[in-house]
Amino acid sequence: MSDAQPFVDLRGVSKGFGTGSARVEVLRDLDLEVPSGRMLAVVGPSGVGKSTLLHLVGLLDRPDAGRLELDGREVAILDGEERARLRNRMIGFVFQYHHLLDELDARDNVALPLRIAGESAGRARARAMELLEAVNLSDRAGHFPDQLSGGEQQRVAVARALAVEPRLLLADEPTGNLDRANAEQVFSLVQELHLLAGLTSIIVTHNEEIARMCDDVFRLAPAGDNFEDV
Amino acid sequence: MSAELHLARRYLVGLRRRTHVATVTLISMVGLCLGVLALVVTLALLEGFQSSIRSEIVARATHARVSPSRGRRLEDPVKLASVLQEKLGQVEMVQVVRGTCLVSSLSDAVPASVVGRSDVLEVVVDRILAARLGVGVGDEVQVISPRQRLTPMGPLPVRVRTEVADVRAPEPGAEGGAVRMPLVLAQRLLWGGEVVEAIELRDSERPWRLGARVRDALDDAGVAAQVQGLDELHRPLLLALALERVMIFVAVGLMLVVAALNLLCNVAMVAAEKRTDLAVLSGIGMTPRALRRLFLLLGTGIGLVGSTMGAVLGIAIALLLDRTQALPLPRGVFIVSSVPFRVDPAMVGLVMAVALSLAAAASWLPSRMVARREPAEGLRYE
Repeated sequence: MSDAQPFVDLRGVSKGFGTGSARVEVLRDLDLEVPSGRMLAVVGPSGVGKSTLLHLVGLLDRPDAGRLELDGREVAILDGEERARLRNRMIGFVFQYHHLLDELDARDNVALPLRIAGESAGRARARAMELLEAVNLSDRAGHFPDQLSGGEQQRVAVARALAVEPRLLLADEPTGNLDRANAEQVFSLVQELHLLAGLTSIIVTHNEEIARMCDDVFRLAPAGDNFEDV
Repeated sequence: MSAELHLARRYLVGLRRRTHVATVTLISMVGLCLGVLALVVTLALLEGFQSSIRSEIVARATHARVSPSRGRRLEDPVKLASVLQEKLGQVEMVQVVRGTCLVSSLSDAVPASVVGRSDVLEVVVDRILAARLGVGVGDEVQVISPRQRLTPMGPLPVRVRTEVADVRAPEPGAEGGAVRMPLVLAQRLLWGGEVVEAIELRDSERPWRLGARVRDALDDAGVAAQVQGLDELHRPLLLALALERVMIFVAVGLMLVVAALNLLCNVAMVAAEKRTDLAVLSGIGMTPRALRRLFLLLGTGIGLVGSTMGAVLGIAIALLLDRTQALPLPRGVFIVSSVPFRVDPAMVGLVMAVALSLAAAASWLPSRMVARREPAEGLRYE
């Protein structure tokens, strides 16, 4: 991996679910560094903990043990309110199933993180229109999620993830639910925006082709025997 | 507008998109609407009847009574009357004596209350006494006083033989029979002299304030006397009316509690169904506090829309039933000819406030549950 200062730094991170004999250790003593500005693909078989890793880095969950630093700041110890504010300012998420809100049209979905950050409705919507233009969906701004195709929904989700100009982009199987043509289109978009905005990105994927297009690949294996391709 | 208010509004306005959330929201709104409607109509009905009773009291009963602070007879009733006349201006004033006598007819003899009033010119019995004695207008009755006088045949009770000039409805709240007669006649029966026990006053302009005005007037003049206003004179009846209102409010208000429990279940169902959405909202930076506010706003919004609809419908129904006199009552049995409805704005405000408080309380529990959830839980079990 690069010698640059890591933007994401995990040291000895463990995470398990359940209690007693039903407990499953998903991640054990995991170390991972993602330098600033790099795009890392996380690959591995189902159930190995790829999404759990992404949730930990994205402050959606707390590690059972270990240190987690984002941009040099220890974040595992922050309380719920602080973690939410950090997610809003610093992190953009793209999920496998877009997860747009059914009650909002495309423009309001993209504007939502800005509204949460305290932007006025007018400014948030103007910025949302710019982003929808960047993902070639300005003509679909007034459409609700159920009126958009799968590819369009995922492009709206990418626009939403970039609304607050985050420094870290986390994508969980962003193309896993799309056909080949749409998958290529969405991933190219993610790549383009990653370079354009100078983001640090972590992409969880099953798709080896997509993984190869990333700067680095992290192979997550059961029992913690992880290794990294460069 | 904050993000959570914007979202809560979209959840509510999203009714036309016919989502499951919209259906659940609609059910909660209808529940609260029906609860508020029932309470508003019931209280309007009760207020209608009670205001008729209060009007009847005001129309027929004494508005204030001045009686001696000690003993049974007023020291100087003429001076007292002139003080009251001077201080209060145009009010009706009547001198009164009261007591209990045996009243007999050809068929029966019963104890009855005797009232002597300076404004009464002939003997009038109420319907209760007339029915007990079996007498009507023109019949003769004998009123026998407990007071005795010495005669050549020994002590005999004072008695008066008189003709019934009229039979009238009893005074509000009166249960036993009563006979009204000229003051002089009653004084002869009960006291044997020109004694006045009380001065009774009426003021058709401000009947409920008369007691306080009389009290102030006598205080100013330095006259010591016991003063009873309308509230004191009819305390048991007015307390019974107030208690009835409270009991009906609580009983029918239970419907609102059931509607609020329904709202609690529905908001909890929305919280469960929107688990992933909430995780995403959390993921894009909505704080636990803001998530809690979102659900409180959603529940209170449902409460506001539902209770406003219920209040508007309830007021409309009550006014319509009252104006059209759609529910007639048998004549002679009730004091009104149709079921009266009277909408009291303060009571409607109270019902709305209770409904909104219950809605807020009902959404508090699910909102707390949502705020405590780790965002990854919603994504992990999608």
